[in-house]
Amino acid sequence: MAEASEPAGPSPVPTVEVGDLLPRLDRGDPLLLLDVRNRDEYESWKLEARRPVETVHVPYFDFIEDAEGALAQVPHDRELVVLCAKGGSSEMVVELLGEAGRSARNVSGGMIAYGVYLEPVKLPLAAPEAARYELWQVNRRGKACLSYVIVSGGEAVVVDPSRHASWYEGFAAERGTRIVRVLDTHVHADHVSGGPELARKLGVPYFVCAGAGFELRHAVTPLADGQQVRLGGEQGVSIEVRVISTPGHTPGSTSFLVDGRYLLTGDTLFVAAVGRPDLGGHVVEWGRDLFFSLRDRLSDLPPATRVLPAHYGGLSEISGEGVVWGLLGELRATVPELQIATPEEFISAVRGAVKDPPAAYAEIIKVNLGGPASEEQICEWELGKNQCAASTRRAAGA
Amino acid sequence: MALKKLDVRGTKCPIPIVRAKKEIDAMTPGDELEVTATDAGSVPDFQGWVKTAKHAILKSQRTEKDDTGRELYIHLLERK
Repeated sequence: MAEASEPAGPSPVPTVEVGDLLPRLDRGDPLLLLDVRNRDEYESWKLEARRPVETVHVPYFDFIEDAEGALAQVPHDRELVVLCAKGGSSEMVVELLGEAGRSARNVSGGMIAYGVYLEPVKLPLAAPEAARYELWQVNRRGKACLSYVIVSGGEAVVVDPSRHASWYEGFAAERGTRIVRVLDTHVHADHVSGGPELARKLGVPYFVCAGAGFELRHAVTPLADGQQVRLGGEQGVSIEVRVISTPGHTPGSTSFLVDGRYLLTGDTLFVAAVGRPDLGGHVVEWGRDLFFSLRDRLSDLPPATRVLPAHYGGLSEISGEGVVWGLLGELRATVPELQIATPEEFISAVRGAVKDPPAAYAEIIKVNLGGPASEEQICEWELGKNQCAASTRRAAGA
Repeated sequence: MALKKLDVRGTKCPIPIVRAKKEIDAMTPGDELEVTATDAGSVPDFQGWVKTAKHAILKSQRTEKDDTGRELYIHLLERK
């Protein structure tokens, strides 16, 4: 029987990229995923697709200790892909499988690659709007984080970009558009923003509002509540993005209303929950702000306004079109936290609803305010799905 | 009783456990192996491995910083 050995030099094992694997799993191709991480890592963060992913979990060290016993736990009947945290241990397991006459492929880069993979989804806009602009929802599937690219008349605005700024540059270049502005809805606590870097590289204005009590070290072009920025002007099209101050999740949280129709809410309002106001140690003050932001700041928007949040809580929130969005009118009727009448009850409900804070949220906030961090540290801090919602309803499929 | 040291700094999984197993298997029961790693993932992985390991007991785990401020994860194993 094969014995575990150190991979020697460049890997000869067959691989599959996350970007090729996910569409196959979404389609329901009969693949078997062998996850070889340790149990805690496996239990806390799994690879997900739009259909259930059939997975066998056998930690890689079981293959090192008893390769024969571990191999016996892996069914024979389907195409096999092997996954670990970074791609090294799964590569060893693919080699062992190969030596035992079993073909399998290694998921390149493992969960780290899954955690940074970005999938752009074009929103199906109605005909009059579609002629004037495109709205792209960029789904960072491993973390359930959403960023946006608004494209009109050769210009683009990027909202809440993930930290791989070059991806957005490439995306804009492919579409023949020029990024003219970068916006963040808030100082994120679950992932490092690519906003400052993207804006700096392109020499375009960057906006985020940190709010009182935070020392922001990034260069920011401030935008006032109610202010409008435009894009597409060069080619005669003009799309307005209105700034709406919606404090609560953070004291500086901002929503952006695109063309009067699409409301980018950040972590203020999700399609099945509201943002959590407890990540700054001021749950009463921030919770009260959030209550009034949700009740009063968005109250003049029509029910047909489409809410486009910065996160989703589970696969059930992805629509048939592959988009995470909701009609404001429907959310007003269905999101439990929006049914609460008083700030006191609201604070008490969201307090009871929040999960543990993201593991390294304090460190991530510091980086997003302009503090230093190494790529390795950021990778470690960003592991796992976002925990940004305060949902009193246990989300199905979350 | 002998104490052997194994330096796996700079390596990532599966290397720390592959090397530790090779050393442990060649040792005498009661001997100890101190593994120094830089991969934070080695902490839960050593805990997981010893649950089924035939010859290794995990006696302790601790962290230290080296001269450059890099975090070191030090695992003390005993050959059983």
